[in-house]
Amino acid sequence: MFDRGTSLAADNKNRTAAVSVKNLRKCFRPLEVLKGVSLEACEGEVISILGSSGSGKIDVLRCINMLEVPDSGEICIGGEMFGLTKGRCKTQPADRRQVDRLREHIGMVFQNFNLWSHMTILENVIEAPVHVQKRNRAECIEEAEALLERVGIADKRNYYPAHLSGGQQQRAAIARALAQRPKVMLFDEPTSALDPELVGEVLKVMRSLAEEGRTMLVVTHEMAFARDGSSRVVFLHKGVVEEEGAPDEIFQNPKSDRFKQFLSNG
Amino acid sequence: MDFTFMGETFLTLLQGLPLTLELATTSILAGGILAVIIALIAVIGGPIGRGFTQGYVFVFRGSPLLVQMFLIYYGLGQFRPLLQELGIWIIFREPYWCAVISLTLNTAAYTSEIFRGGLQAVSIQQVEAARACGMSGPLLFRRIVLPIAIRQALPAYGNEIILMLKATALASVITIMEITGLAGKLIADSFRGFEVFIVAGAIYLAITFVVTRLLMIIEFWLSPHLRMRPPSLT
Repeated sequence: MFDRGTSLAADNKNRTAAVSVKNLRKCFRPLEVLKGVSLEACEGEVISILGSSGSGKIDVLRCINMLEVPDSGEICIGGEMFGLTKGRCKTQPADRRQVDRLREHIGMVFQNFNLWSHMTILENVIEAPVHVQKRNRAECIEEAEALLERVGIADKRNYYPAHLSGGQQQRAAIARALAQRPKVMLFDEPTSALDPELVGEVLKVMRSLAEEGRTMLVVTHEMAFARDGSSRVVFLHKGVVEEEGAPDEIFQNPKSDRFKQFLSNG
Repeated sequence: MDFTFMGETFLTLLQGLPLTLELATTSILAGGILAVIIALIAVIGGPIGRGFTQGYVFVFRGSPLLVQMFLIYYGLGQFRPLLQELGIWIIFREPYWCAVISLTLNTAAYTSEIFRGGLQAVSIQQVEAARACGMSGPLLFRRIVLPIAIRQALPAYGNEIILMLKATALASVITIMEITGLAGKLIADSFRGFEVFIVAGAIYLAITFVVTRLLMIIEFWLSPHLRMRPPSLT
């Protein structure tokens, strides 16, 4: 245990942290959902965040791109920290423009896809690069088509989200996030809203992203993905990191009772 | 029924058509702009903004358009010296502008509610997806919120446009010679109420027919995402 810890730390020193979260706290009165969560994802790392409902796992993810503003704590994306100011009743981002700028480099994939219903799949994918990042439209279209090819729905590029199956929509949403050229990808239970037979196609895309060395934080219930798709697993329980480690180790020798219980139920 | 008389009536009433259309387009456009402002204040203006817009809507939706028109045309005449001092008597002197102002204020109240509904029905999920990729403020509004809101509000807004077209007939009671005004005059001359109003009604029917078709085309064009059959691959 100690050996691995030091070797990991040594390993981390050589790589820059793509995302680091320190002592994150968030309270939805009267409930304290995050009670000091710390987490670090190095470049190329795939971290699966597990936990039962109410553990705060989704809140961690939503705090990383400021969709939820934490009450306190530090969040760094590629070494740059989100500035927070303490208001009278709640904490606010210090600089909205900084939030927008950092978000450009964070790709988010939602549980319910959240594609823009009035745009075709291709328009969805090029929206952020063209209108937020102000890149050349023709290049963005070329890149978007390659991304759609990659997630296997190139033939659906002129369809509207409502005309696609859930699995196809989620793959389109992944392509949309990739089009931002993100430093880190956040996945918020990407397969939870899908029929069981559609889960596979989305997981396959996610595995291929993991293999090409993308930094990913994945909140998931897919144990198989956590076990062999991720480089590290974090188990959250009631707003604290209860257990953390390499998947082989953590699944074979769970230390905490909570995690043992979680595994036996799952 | 006298068909030759109806033919003549048709030609006479047709002379009122431009004025009817002018009243309708001016007030619908001006009212639409005002409604966007009111709806935005209602949605993002906080409690004060909401209170103000609720008051506006309550007053203009809660009283008859005819009363509002009388108030502006006849009522404000009492304050002529004051209005002259302010230099706006030129506007309130003209029945045309009084009609436009009352139609505009009235439709703005109804339309702002339609727009507010459209804006508030934009799903938070699609807004979050936009925020998550770095959009905010006017860009988010222009690219995501507004296009979705317009699509949601269009059927109800189409209704309001048609209602406004027909409401222009009320302008005839403040001496404006649009279709209904001309019809009234014709009846006073000929005592043939039935034929004249049949023709007047038919003209309104024809206008609304064209307008509803146009609205259908716009709606069709804006909603490929709602049609079942996917567009062909290109």
